[in-house]
Amino acid sequence: MPAAPPEATQDSTPHALLAFLHSQSQTTLTRLYQRPSSCLSMFRLLGPLERQLIMNLLWLDSAVPAQTMSAWVTQEGRKMYDNALVSLSKLHILSSSPVKLALNTTFKSSLRHAIVGGGTSGSFGVPAEPDRKHPPPSIETLDAYALERWETILHYMVSSGSGRFPARPSQGVLLLLQRSGLMTNMHGSALQITSSGFQFLLHTPHAQLWELLLQYLHMAEERQMDLVEVLSFLFMLSTMELGRDYSVEHLSGTQTAMLEDLRDYGIIWQRKASSRRFNPTRLATTLTSSAPPLPTAGNSSGSHQAQGFIVLETNYRLYAYTDNPLQTAVLNLFVTLKSRFPNLVVGAITRESVKKALANGITANQIISYLTTHAHPQMRKNKPLLPVTVQDQIRLWELEKNRMQSREGYLYTEFASQADYEYVLEYAKKLDVVLWENALRRCFFGSVEGHSNIRGFIERRSAGNV
Amino acid sequence: MPPRRITNIDDSDSDISILDDVDIEARGKAKGKGKAVDRGQSSKSKSKAKEQPYAWEATYTRSWDTVQEDEAGSLQGAVEDLIARGRRRRLLAPAAAIRRTIIRHLILILDLSASMLDRDMRPTRFDLMLQYAREFVTEWFDQNPLGQIGIVGMRSGVGERAGEMSGNPQDVLRAMHERHKLEPAGEPSLQNAIEMARSSMSHLPTHSSREIVIIFGSLTTCDPGNIHDTLDECIKDKIRISVVALAAEMKICRDLCDKTGGQFGVAMNEGHFKDLLFELIPPPAQRAAVSRAAGASATNLSADLMMMGFPTRLPNTSPPSLCVCHSELKSEGFLCPRCAAKVCDVPTDCDICGLMIVSSPHLARSYHHLFPVKAYKAVESLVDTPNPSPTCHACSVNFADVALPKPGSAMEGMSPIGRYRCPDCHHDFCTDCDVFVHDVVHCCPGCGK
Amino acid sequence: MDKASHLSVILDLSPVQWHLFGQSTNPFPLSLSSFLSQLLAFLNAHTACKDENTLAVFGAFPGKSVLLFSSTTGISEGDLGPADANTYRPFKMLDATIMKSILEELEELSGAQEESPLGLVGALTKALCYINRTSSAASSAPAARSEETNLPDPRILIISVSPDQPSAYIPIMNSIFSAQKLKVTIDVCKLFGSDSVFLQQASHLTGGSYIFLERPDALLQYLTMSFLPPPALRQLLSVPTQDKVDFRAACFCHKNIVDVGFVCSVCLSIFCQPVPVCSTCRTKFPIKTLQRLNASKPPAPTANRAAIPATSLPRSTSIGSGTPRLTPLSNGNGTVHPPSQNGTPR
Repeated sequence: MPAAPPEATQDSTPHALLAFLHSQSQTTLTRLYQRPSSCLSMFRLLGPLERQLIMNLLWLDSAVPAQTMSAWVTQEGRKMYDNALVSLSKLHILSSSPVKLALNTTFKSSLRHAIVGGGTSGSFGVPAEPDRKHPPPSIETLDAYALERWETILHYMVSSGSGRFPARPSQGVLLLLQRSGLMTNMHGSALQITSSGFQFLLHTPHAQLWELLLQYLHMAEERQMDLVEVLSFLFMLSTMELGRDYSVEHLSGTQTAMLEDLRDYGIIWQRKASSRRFNPTRLATTLTSSAPPLPTAGNSSGSHQAQGFIVLETNYRLYAYTDNPLQTAVLNLFVTLKSRFPNLVVGAITRESVKKALANGITANQIISYLTTHAHPQMRKNKPLLPVTVQDQIRLWELEKNRMQSREGYLYTEFASQADYEYVLEYAKKLDVVLWENALRRCFFGSVEGHSNIRGFIERRSAGNV
Repeated sequence: MPPRRITNIDDSDSDISILDDVDIEARGKAKGKGKAVDRGQSSKSKSKAKEQPYAWEATYTRSWDTVQEDEAGSLQGAVEDLIARGRRRRLLAPAAAIRRTIIRHLILILDLSASMLDRDMRPTRFDLMLQYAREFVTEWFDQNPLGQIGIVGMRSGVGERAGEMSGNPQDVLRAMHERHKLEPAGEPSLQNAIEMARSSMSHLPTHSSREIVIIFGSLTTCDPGNIHDTLDECIKDKIRISVVALAAEMKICRDLCDKTGGQFGVAMNEGHFKDLLFELIPPPAQRAAVSRAAGASATNLSADLMMMGFPTRLPNTSPPSLCVCHSELKSEGFLCPRCAAKVCDVPTDCDICGLMIVSSPHLARSYHHLFPVKAYKAVESLVDTPNPSPTCHACSVNFADVALPKPGSAMEGMSPIGRYRCPDCHHDFCTDCDVFVHDVVHCCPGCGK
Repeated sequence: MDKASHLSVILDLSPVQWHLFGQSTNPFPLSLSSFLSQLLAFLNAHTACKDENTLAVFGAFPGKSVLLFSSTTGISEGDLGPADANTYRPFKMLDATIMKSILEELEELSGAQEESPLGLVGALTKALCYINRTSSAASSAPAARSEETNLPDPRILIISVSPDQPSAYIPIMNSIFSAQKLKVTIDVCKLFGSDSVFLQQASHLTGGSYIFLERPDALLQYLTMSFLPPPALRQLLSVPTQDKVDFRAACFCHKNIVDVGFVCSVCLSIFCQPVPVCSTCRTKFPIKTLQRLNASKPPAPTANRAAIPATSLPRSTSIGSGTPRLTPLSNGNGTVHPPSQNGTPR
């Protein structure tokens, strides 16, 4: 989970994209590895131990016996090391031989090119000729643009349930939101946010971005776009420099088509749709740098957002120092807002508000992690950061919801005799399908899976008796 | 006014009162209470501590009193004031090499009488004392790696040996670790405790210093004989006694300190308590004692030259062999440079040839006392500097081009353009590096020494 | 674990030593240019590992030390030449800046300067000041104030080809202690020459690794395997650490590196032979002690050093050719030293 506290990231889950890449075929990946920029970006997405392994093997010309390499891992690191090996061979970065370790030759030569330079692939983006009439946009312009685009999308999602509709994002974005299951048009006309959409809102911007891009990749497959082109374009964007013009001339057809989509997400900026040049925004250039949450966020709403803005007290009162309508709207998902000032929103976490959030599919852990990541610097002096009472109560409210479990099944009653009842019950117990029984009333409840067996058994028995 | 406020600055020695005067000027109001003697060791927390009220006056923590905002509501001025204070103190500190007693032996006497259960320092005097004493021991060994500490408790009218004299911080900390063994009770006895401390230091060689630090919370002492005789014995044995009192000043405590060349202080509150205690950590300068009219005792030690060996450390991958100290089979260890015997730990005396084995980092830790970095001069303006360097010579941060608006008189010793120049290599440094170089690194990046 | 790390590299760029190193009489000669190309690949790899990784490179030249590159300060655009689609731009900036500043500095060196002692101490203290500034800036920023874990893991890598300078003993030790206070790991990669006593202690005391390269031609592989993993990752990998640590010190009087010395009880100054008066604190020592010590004194340290068979201990190779190693007193004292003194159990 991206918003998890630092302790929990110790064994952090691998990047979301890697799971997608694991499922790709070797040929696809090998084609992807032909471009140095793709290799460099992929490399950055991997875990620290995996990166170190690759680096160890990168400059070797011959394969290394697996034993030699594993002698180099301490006892505590053994498990992580094994996992790293598996992960790398799934990505076809390591050749799959169990006794010798060697890097995929394409990957090796591309990554070498990336690190020492050289080659002719042009994979780091061809810069455009300087244009006298239109100097490249300033970094502030780019940040403002990216932020505006991104918040439009989120704001549209969060307010879809309330009936108020702010600016609509473009059709392509709407389609993507719908396809990803974040929004749905159940009632025919307007799009409604789904429970996974609510969860999505509480993620960090970086995780949100990748979630959408992954969905975009899935769609690309269906739209007959070349996956390798799409991926390598994204990777190329991530290695570009902020505030620099790049030329569209060397892009393939697929990639030119992608420009429009990415413009809608705020990932790239173009003066006009037909422009011959484009600029990556900060959303693009930070794609593979995991640590800082999207720096764009800090720029428009002052500096406090980057630092966190929520103060939560033990009496469940919550003060949010923000003037950002999006953040207010997100808070509104699980907080009862009481009053609003130019730079401050006051509310309280109540049973009702949390129940509402839980009903929307948001989990208690997500609420807590959102509060943790956005906690005000003042709060960070506390240990633990959030008041324990509030944390526990939010979890308890979630448990309340889980008090009842429902399972489908069949009730068997009206057995002719106690012996009959016991006989059938014994059979059902052997099958392990009994959910509930009552000997006094001579009835028991069996699960759906066992029904056909039990019915057959009763039928056979009554047939045999008759 | 509490009785102990009436303390006399004049009876401290001259160099100490200079430092006190500076503080008084800077504060404008604070008296030189408790003799916050400063040995050039910069501690910023200290000035904060003094501005707090007496511990018993404080009904709540007035943390906002410690810093003052300027007209614009910024804390910048307050922060810079602290830095300026540190700078001035450094300028006053002598730049010449002075003699310090580095091989120290110290007995820490803890008051374990019932008066330590008072709650005027939170959580209680006793708990606070234990906590600070542990920090004190850790820090003390950090700065005096060749020293040894023993612990004596004062309880129920007798002195109790809580920890033997040891050079291993872990041993000393362990002695203070078990709180229930030190539970306060009864009356303290200064005489008994001092006699016990004195006897445990009687065997020490003449070149090492002998010190007693007493943390004293009671206002009475319950002694079997004449404590002034004990005092005379201590003077004869050249034992330096320092007292940190938690309640009020007592004549006998002040006499103990003044006559033996120690320091006496009464803690006003928690922060001040810690400051007073930690001021006893740096090795005492012998210079101060020589100038003392009272003919101080702790200083005329016969110095000596000692032969020491610097060992080679074997890694834990080396073939195991028997050590000479425990006769255990071990891989790691230190080889005596003279007889090549293997010992487990340093510093120690070689069991075979008797050579004193120390690792050189132990010695080197105190060298910055011997060769302090010269204080940098604040650059007032760049007028007489041909092509000044645009960046700090150490950390390469860019200097501000324009002078900051001249703040009040508190900025004396501060450069308006944030540049400080080494008198030897004439390189310019920024404020951060100035502080860092003098307080931590003790080595000028420009001259390399 | 997967957090940004800071690496400060200190390059020993003594022209004399590199000239000696590059000579073909060495079993494995390494020229400065091929060293730099391997080093740049290593530095790029560090930057490649994580976008947030920061890097500073300091050069220690004879008589001075210079910050060659820092990833936090901007580079003027003009130096870089046209943008290039084939290289990652940060890498290109790094390579170009480092090469350019090294060339400039080397050209500025005059013949006389080449003889002056290496500015290793200056470079080391500068690196510490740099780390102090970046980490204090990071920790005073409100977002990161709370947890120290937010600070990048700082470490210093010293790549050394020159022998120890005994005159730098005290400043180096002071730097080591401040590195300990800042929780900076010091790694040492010794390419050429004898083992460095001081740098061994530096890496030992700060928990880093000291590696004496037996095969300098495999430099890049060594650098990658041993010095690329940040300290957090080293718990999982058995990164080679040093074999033996030599805790010897340099004496104050003749700047000899001694293993048995005479120490003033007042100020702990170290002397290589008994002296009547401490040169640091002017303390006079009793004459009896002097007589006793003179009697039990081991043979003069320099002679002692030379008598150790070259194979017995790696540390026992000669120290700094330029330093005066024979002192009048030890000459006059020239005792015949028993060879048994030097044996070690191995």
